[in-house]
Amino acid sequence: MHKQENKVGSFQWLLLISVFVVATCGLIYELVAGTLASYLLGDSVTQFSTIIGTYLFAMGIGSYLSRFLKSNLLGWFISIELMVGMVGGFSAGILFILFEQVIYFRVILYTLVVLTGTLVGLELPLLMRILKDRIEFSDLVSRIFTFDYIGALFASLLFPLLFIPYLGLLRTSFFFGFLNVVVAWIVAYRFRNEIRRYSQLKWSAIVCLLLLAAGFILSEKLTAIAESLTYPDKVVYARSSPYQRIVLTRSAMDWRLFLNGNLQFSSADEYRYHEALVHPGLAQMKEPKHVLVLGGGDGMAVREILKYTSIETITLVDLDKVMTDLFQSNTALMKLNEHALRSPKVRVINTDAFVWIREHQKTFDFIVVDFPDPSNYSLGKLYTMSFYRELYRILAPQGCMVIQSTSPYVAKKSFWIIDSTLRQAGFLTTPYHCYVPSFGEWGFVLGYKEGLSQQFNFPKDLRFVNGETVTQMESFPPDMRVAESPYNTLNNQVLVNTFEKEWADYTR
Amino acid sequence: MISRRKFVKHSMQAAAGSSLLLSALQSCKQPAAYPATLVGPNARLGHMLRSGKFEEPSEGSNADVLIIGGGIAGLSAARYLKKYTDNFILLELGDETGGNAIAGSNAITAYPWGAHYLPLPGNNDPELIAFLREANVITGYANSLPVYNEYHLCFDPKERLYINNFWQEGITPREGVPEKDRHEIERFLALMHDYKDQRGSDGREAFAIPVALSSQDKKYIALDAISMEQFLAQNGFTSPYLRWYVNYCCADDFGSSLTDTSAWAGIHYFASRKGKAANASSDTVLTWPEGNYWLVKQLRKDLEKYIKTNTLVYAVDATNSGVTVLYFDAAANKTKKITAQAAVLATPQYVNQRLLNPNLKRTLDYSAFQYAPWMVANITLDASLDERKGEKLCWDNVIYGSDSLGYVNATHQQIGFHNSHTVITYYKPLPGRDVKKLREQAYRSTIEDWKNIALQDLRKPHRQIENHIKQFDAWVWGHGMIKPVPGFITGETRAQTSMAIQDKIYFAHSDMSGISIFEEAFYQGHIAIRKILERNLLKV
Repeated sequence: MHKQENKVGSFQWLLLISVFVVATCGLIYELVAGTLASYLLGDSVTQFSTIIGTYLFAMGIGSYLSRFLKSNLLGWFISIELMVGMVGGFSAGILFILFEQVIYFRVILYTLVVLTGTLVGLELPLLMRILKDRIEFSDLVSRIFTFDYIGALFASLLFPLLFIPYLGLLRTSFFFGFLNVVVAWIVAYRFRNEIRRYSQLKWSAIVCLLLLAAGFILSEKLTAIAESLTYPDKVVYARSSPYQRIVLTRSAMDWRLFLNGNLQFSSADEYRYHEALVHPGLAQMKEPKHVLVLGGGDGMAVREILKYTSIETITLVDLDKVMTDLFQSNTALMKLNEHALRSPKVRVINTDAFVWIREHQKTFDFIVVDFPDPSNYSLGKLYTMSFYRELYRILAPQGCMVIQSTSPYVAKKSFWIIDSTLRQAGFLTTPYHCYVPSFGEWGFVLGYKEGLSQQFNFPKDLRFVNGETVTQMESFPPDMRVAESPYNTLNNQVLVNTFEKEWADYTR
Repeated sequence: MISRRKFVKHSMQAAAGSSLLLSALQSCKQPAAYPATLVGPNARLGHMLRSGKFEEPSEGSNADVLIIGGGIAGLSAARYLKKYTDNFILLELGDETGGNAIAGSNAITAYPWGAHYLPLPGNNDPELIAFLREANVITGYANSLPVYNEYHLCFDPKERLYINNFWQEGITPREGVPEKDRHEIERFLALMHDYKDQRGSDGREAFAIPVALSSQDKKYIALDAISMEQFLAQNGFTSPYLRWYVNYCCADDFGSSLTDTSAWAGIHYFASRKGKAANASSDTVLTWPEGNYWLVKQLRKDLEKYIKTNTLVYAVDATNSGVTVLYFDAAANKTKKITAQAAVLATPQYVNQRLLNPNLKRTLDYSAFQYAPWMVANITLDASLDERKGEKLCWDNVIYGSDSLGYVNATHQQIGFHNSHTVITYYKPLPGRDVKKLREQAYRSTIEDWKNIALQDLRKPHRQIENHIKQFDAWVWGHGMIKPVPGFITGETRAQTSMAIQDKIYFAHSDMSGISIFEEAFYQGHIAIRKILERNLLKV
């Protein structure tokens, strides 16, 4: 008799624990969907509100549908739990991969929410019916709902505090799917004598577990697949070098190069950027012979420089060998830079520009400085007075140099800090800017020691720069000017701090 | 479009976070294996001084001046002396000169084993300014202010404090600190700032570097009679945030704590640094990957041929004609003798006690010299540290509430692209009144003990630090820094220390200043030589 009671006790506790797990998992799936939707579609209030509403409504549907299940309730309960585990567990992964299909995205999203909600909604009524003959009804209702709500609290606290920070969305949902299935299996095993087709359920559980475990392990691969989806066009090349993530995309219109997710050029309009970078300075030089390019591993600036026949040597210093190799070996890309990096006049050096320049003695007639924007302290060092002083030292007396100087419209303080830093380092400067459709308004600063000739000898085949454009480029409307600028040094890094703030304000 | 990209970024960070968690779980199972060694100092030769019996020297030589000890004071003495004579020798016990400012290096970077920065110096010691010009640390002058070499000024971002689960910029506690405490901190700093500008009735600066040039005004001298803790209490400073901060500052400069630092010394920390620069704010410091070892290299640039390392001096005596010094040359494995017109003992007093012939009757209360023991760890990392919110990795990184000084990033002054591989130098003074016991305890501690102490502290801001450690080395400084306990700086004993013996044996060490900083050691070094020159002991 005692033994019998014990058996009933463990029977109901197991089922109640599974209520707890189902409730936890259910809420987690709901939160995953809400988080995903607010990440992807923005407006988190709306997203969370509609997802929670839909989810609760779907639970209602589930509860209603439960009446149509007449027999083998325990078997159904376990099967539904397996399904919840699978649908919920894979929901984040599915949404993750499909989110590029914006048009259908909401459909997929709400379908998954409705499906999960319905399945979870089926479970409680089923469970109550399973237990109704074994436990006093008032006890039953009290226990089931207690466990249900504790599970909800558990999930809602752990989700933001533990799971998202440590596991991430994808792994969290796989993890709970896994948990769901494990509980289903345990219940099935415990009641293997009372349900039909135990072995079928067992094998389904094993398959589910394997799939979910694989999903968990392959989450990182999934993020990689998803990365390719963050780019609007087809990713044709992606590689991480020790310094950056290089991604190349291609559409019917153009090729695009992204470094760490930032657009470096679009083949459709890069000629504007690179012509503006090179020619206003170089075309004023008499018989330039030796040119230095810092950064610019794509070879586009070199392509422009090679248009001057007097050029004897071009030294390209770029930190990233992966970049320069790519643009020296890939046929499509070499077509873009017109095999510039393979020219016998070009010498490519893969090293840190600051370290290299401090040890370099020979002077150059023209210097192109084409670094990424000063978005971190490492890059910020390449925009300091110390660095510009080193440049001053290796610039020929009649020489000239040009610096890509971010957008004078978006980051106008930053732009003028670069100008003021160059002046502080001893340069005379001419700031200018032009419009590059894929970038927006973009700025450059010319630095020189003795004044420039103002006589332009442009190469013949330029598409953008001529005498007239140069005049236009040198004029700054009031919304791109500032009164006074500090200068950037290694010990103040004022540029990085300013730049960060300006772009953050702009993209907010 | 942007929100989607952001989303992927977030998810990737989350994925990265999860893999960290997994690796953390793995590391719980099997402790990470990386080499850990107790590096120095090489105490073998030093211990011979206590225990060893030495044979009568078989060889002898002579010199105008003999300098014993190749720390900053000894090197400064040698640098100054070289302007007047070529006939001198510097004997150094260790493998190389540098004293507390020595450094190590590996494939990633050089890193300090001790002193690692120099605040912008004021104008009190023209010789120091001259040296900095020679070393091209000062490159010129603008508006009559020195222009410092930008590569040597600490790069931005300089320092941060981990407090309330957040890295705030700067070290004075601020983030999440109640308003009342913030006001108290401000009031304290304002008071310290007042002291900075004050002068005594004798017209001297209230608090100067070198200490020797500070005012003797009773008003200030009285502050040496009480502890920094008493000073805080007397002035109504009770904020725990402030107390932690001032305690940290005492540890930073003296290796001591609020209770065993004199108020005079405690205030000196805040009120003595008056250096200005044409091209940097006055709270900037000069620093190098290898710390002050960079300055050591500059100091000894033209001194190599005068320096003999691995030499243990075991007896110093004055004779009618000059000074006799006996030493053991470890390389030659024999004892030798040098006679000189004069000797400079650029060694701490606890060593002098054993070197000087007792008949010389130097009546000095050696027990008044207390030295704080230290542990310094250099930790090589093969990946960027996992970070909490707030300011990014700085040069100096301090943990609120900890009794360590936090850590310094050795690659901070590298101009090249930031590499995730770096070495961080962790500083841990061992505060307490019974220095002898602390020292014995420190010598007994194993590398595992030090590892546990350092990592327990560092795990607070960097939970995953152990997954990135490639190497952990520690160095125990038994006599790390002279402690300016109450009464020491203005006391009789310290005043007697600089008195030469029979005009032949001179002394130069930062413990004579009561404050163990580069400026004091440098000052003591060239002042000792100046005294010798004044006595016309050189045949110049």
